[in-house]
Amino acid sequence: MSNNPFQDARWSRGYGSGRRQFLGRMFHGFGGIALSGLLAREARGASPIIDPLAVKAPAFPRKAKNCIMLFMCGGVSQVDSFEYKPKLNEFHGKRIPHIPKIASGELQGRLTFAHQCVGSPFKFQQHGQSRRYISELFPNLARHVDDLAFIHGIQVDNQNHGPATLHVATGSQFPGSPSVGSWVRYGLGSANQNLPGYVVIQDPRGAPTNGAAVWGNGYLPAAYQGTFLRPTGTPIVDLARPQGVSAAQQRQEFDALAWLNRRHLGDASRDSELEARISAYELAFRMQTAAPELVDLSGETEETKALYGLDHPKTAGFGRQCLLARRLVERGVRHTLLLHGVQIGKDSWDDHGNVKDGMIKHSREVDLPVAGLLADLKRRGLLDETLVVWASEMGRTSFVTGSVGDKVGRDHNGHALCMWMAGGDVKGGATAGATDDFSLCAADEPIPIRDVHATLLNLLGLDEENLTYHYAGRIRRLTDIQANVLRQIIA
Amino acid sequence: MNPTKKLFPLGRTATAAIVGCFLAGCLLANVLHAASAPTNSVVGWPFTPPAEIKPPLVRHADQITNAIDNFILARLKEKGLTLAPAASARTLVRRLYFDLIGLPPSPTEVDAFLNDPDPKAYATLVDKLLDDSRYGERWARFWLDLARYADTAGYEGDPDLPNAWRYRDYVIDAFNQDKPYDQFVIEQIAGDEAEEIMGAGDLPDSKPEPTVALTFLRLAPFTEPRGDASRHEMLSEMTATVSSVFLGLTVGCAQCHNHKYDRIPTKDFYRMKAFFSTVQLQRPLPGDIFQLGGPLPAAFYRKGEKEWAAKLTDQRNAELAEPRSLVAALDKIEDVGKKSDPKISLTPEQREQRSKAKARIRLVEQDLKRLQPVAMSLRHSYGPPFEPGVPETRVLNRGEWDKPGEVVEPGFPSVITGNQDPAPIRLDPFKRWPTRSRRLALAEWIASSENPMTARVMVNRLWDWHFGRGLVATPSDFGKLSGGASHPELIDWLAWRFVDSKWSVKAMHRLILNSATYCQSSRYHDSKAETADPENTLLWRFRPRRLEAEAVRDAVLAVSGRLNPEQFGLPIFPPLPEGLAEEVKYDDSKWATQDGPEGRKRSVYIYQQRSMTMPFMQTFDSVVCDASRDRRQVSVTPLQALAMYNGRFANEEATHFAARVRKDAGESPGAQIQLAFKTALGREPAPEESERMQALMKSSTEGSDAVAAVCRVLLNANEFVYVE
Repeated sequence: MSNNPFQDARWSRGYGSGRRQFLGRMFHGFGGIALSGLLAREARGASPIIDPLAVKAPAFPRKAKNCIMLFMCGGVSQVDSFEYKPKLNEFHGKRIPHIPKIASGELQGRLTFAHQCVGSPFKFQQHGQSRRYISELFPNLARHVDDLAFIHGIQVDNQNHGPATLHVATGSQFPGSPSVGSWVRYGLGSANQNLPGYVVIQDPRGAPTNGAAVWGNGYLPAAYQGTFLRPTGTPIVDLARPQGVSAAQQRQEFDALAWLNRRHLGDASRDSELEARISAYELAFRMQTAAPELVDLSGETEETKALYGLDHPKTAGFGRQCLLARRLVERGVRHTLLLHGVQIGKDSWDDHGNVKDGMIKHSREVDLPVAGLLADLKRRGLLDETLVVWASEMGRTSFVTGSVGDKVGRDHNGHALCMWMAGGDVKGGATAGATDDFSLCAADEPIPIRDVHATLLNLLGLDEENLTYHYAGRIRRLTDIQANVLRQIIA
Repeated sequence: MNPTKKLFPLGRTATAAIVGCFLAGCLLANVLHAASAPTNSVVGWPFTPPAEIKPPLVRHADQITNAIDNFILARLKEKGLTLAPAASARTLVRRLYFDLIGLPPSPTEVDAFLNDPDPKAYATLVDKLLDDSRYGERWARFWLDLARYADTAGYEGDPDLPNAWRYRDYVIDAFNQDKPYDQFVIEQIAGDEAEEIMGAGDLPDSKPEPTVALTFLRLAPFTEPRGDASRHEMLSEMTATVSSVFLGLTVGCAQCHNHKYDRIPTKDFYRMKAFFSTVQLQRPLPGDIFQLGGPLPAAFYRKGEKEWAAKLTDQRNAELAEPRSLVAALDKIEDVGKKSDPKISLTPEQREQRSKAKARIRLVEQDLKRLQPVAMSLRHSYGPPFEPGVPETRVLNRGEWDKPGEVVEPGFPSVITGNQDPAPIRLDPFKRWPTRSRRLALAEWIASSENPMTARVMVNRLWDWHFGRGLVATPSDFGKLSGGASHPELIDWLAWRFVDSKWSVKAMHRLILNSATYCQSSRYHDSKAETADPENTLLWRFRPRRLEAEAVRDAVLAVSGRLNPEQFGLPIFPPLPEGLAEEVKYDDSKWATQDGPEGRKRSVYIYQQRSMTMPFMQTFDSVVCDASRDRRQVSVTPLQALAMYNGRFANEEATHFAARVRKDAGESPGAQIQLAFKTALGREPAPEESERMQALMKSSTEGSDAVAAVCRVLLNANEFVYVE
């Protein structure tokens, strides 16, 4: 047997004859690998048992094996963060003079009403060798600017929070589709021994819009769902032993259970589902040790903790999430989704009211932790094998309907989402797409979110066209329809 | 079956054509077909009406109990295989209980069946369980998955749908009453239009029950409207869901382009959608910030429901008094404090008190909304000059709402009818209500015995729910990607029987459950069969099945003796793992945790919150439906083990199970183990099992409950969650 079980577990669409053989080995040899996950029956019926660990041969070699997605809930203002638009300040308080022809009917419609341009209250400066402008709100992230590739003018199909969040998180604005992490897990399997392969850490202050649908497995088997990891307390639901049951007692009970289950299995030993359930208890037993160890940060140096901002109340929340993400990557967890911000209120990036104070608050909470994560991954040699993606559900408008008041805000703009990627084969300093001078929408050609998804998968060695699943009459994929990989940001 | 009885007149026509003038018929059909529809090649099963099929003759009549077995055996014989021997009576009684009512038989019920000398004991038990009202609670859940049932709208804020629960009770009733399936179909698509209108007066009010049934069309996730785009999305979703649920046609795939696998042109999607074009939602109620759309009046119609609702409403209103006066008092203190110099603000304790009281008020008010005699229903537009008339339906290019193309008339899918003619819509005699009867035309066509899909699709669903796999493996997709049927003739034969029984679902259960095919052992080994048919598609043995999440939870409660048998009513909120409710909350008016018995009703009553699935249920693959789901996944995860072993629910119930065992079996470990096995697994422990469990009890660490240890092990056993 090879040392790397995943190399043996190549599995192509259809129901490979190697499945049984693989399962057989899996449970005799290296039970550990089943952990993250599990066994599931495919939607087609009892016929195939999907082996969620099976790794499809990557379509092409890529450095990145893991992905960390940083999702900012509420819609980040691109013109106060990563898009320098001096015209906005020039026209502050005036009508926007040029509306690009390609602006959607919806955007054109909004601009026929009385509106005023809103300049950015923040200074922009050029950074790094790429001489890219970054707003003063992100001084720490700006130091990594040469590692980042930006994508501008991304379009989502709906600019309400719910559908837009789903569009970015799952590729469809309607609920029910698998999240990006589920596709990544489905495509890459899991390299991890004792933890789930797809982990979600939400903002300790609350849930995102749509809640669990943001990390759901949709129509993929449940084995591919994101597992909710709590940054404090018991890290995984039901991880703690029942009250009054010691580890020794639990061990005895699990032994009795395994004995009973084996006896029940009897001559039905070919039933891999029943066998899998026996293994699952052993894996759960180990997870009880592995997961608390994961969230126990006492082994991290003070310097590292400070790097992530754990020493400051404003940055400690997201800092802890980022530090956990690094620890997850170290343990081979394929996909980590970090959520910052809650769905409504002052802790959301949804700054309709007072974009200045709002942006100061939100950026302060994430700038240092994200920069710390990039720095830490880099110095540990992990950035090469980790794709880091900054996302939000949409951009914001550079104008307000009516007039600019004292504490001006910005509304939703689904035509000007800005994201960045770093790590793996991302070409640092590169740019894809551009918005017009007023950041209303793409200057030339909008970049549909599916192109970003295709690029993300590509950077993980997955071919979006071939990463498919048959459900409800169609061959489904993350991008739904033909998407273009943004080659310009790939090294 | 009476050969003169023609259930499928289309089939009769086809037969006549073939027998009478075969060539002319074919030529004419081809010409017509080519002229009217783009799908110009001959389509076969399942789009043509089933012919009446006689069960194939097979030898080994001793293995046959009804005609289903003829079909199954005939296919098995082709491969040189045969049916497995019948399962033991002990296995069968457990299989039947779980299958029909979703609960384990009690030790007494097991013994009663085993000791029943009547050769018809099995058939009698089938009848008894079909008459049990818990049958509806189990089988409704399958339908609720198809109906994408949920108690919240999803998306931002995940707002509550306070009246959706009435539809859940409607479905439970429908199964319990064996509502004819054709009527069930019509009520859910066009219950408001089903009554014939003869006069020229005003439209009669819709009856409460069909008003509730129409909730089916409104259960899609819903987000704040954006004009035409939202209406397009809403009607498209209805079109796609109705097609896949009732017709097994994935018409939704043709919204943007011609179906890639089946003969469903884009135009047909919009022709189907045109049936829904006069759908009218009530405008949102004042204060509905999420703009969900209002309910329609629907008096409580179930027996005793009115009184129950009135009583609960009074009770809830009374509960409001205390928190309200507390909030008022604290508000007053705050007001006074603000005006005094220096200002005095509320203490942190007072603030917490007030916020708790406010949360309580919100939860109670939520319940009061649920207790209104209204339904989350819809209607057709009243029509001109009062409300919109019949709008034009256009093909939308690439499915985009702002790219209108050709105008279409409502029509049935050409893959079935062979043409793209407009569907006849039968208006009232005075044509006074031109907006009416469009959905009815579709519903009646679907519910017609002539429709080749409807009966086939439903009998296949029933088969799937009984056997864990349909004869067509993708029950909501009978198209090409389904891979076809393993036994098309059996589906056709069952479809005939279904229509013949006046669409009685219970008649189908009886037929299926009384077959030798269903009664096979799952423990049968046959290396020849395993090679020839490794996936057991041909059914050479029974397929063991993991219980669905609902049945697992219900079974745990049944075994612990704490299942609250109360049926119907408001959604329940069982306790969540520590801290979770707070973490996933949008506001405090959602998960009103019930630690008492009301939180231990059956799982079908659990509040279906789209932004959160109960972790325990989720580990057993339950879904809070965003879209119609035709089957559950079966996955095995360590999270499932953690929930079932460490989780608060499983442990509390294990402790109660242990207490029950102690009470009834006394202090002898042997007797305790025996009773625990009988209760949880429906059988006596083997001597070595009893020994092994006694050893566990002896070695249990001090301070731990030794009987509870055995109970925990049993609840976690494969034998407990898998039915053979």
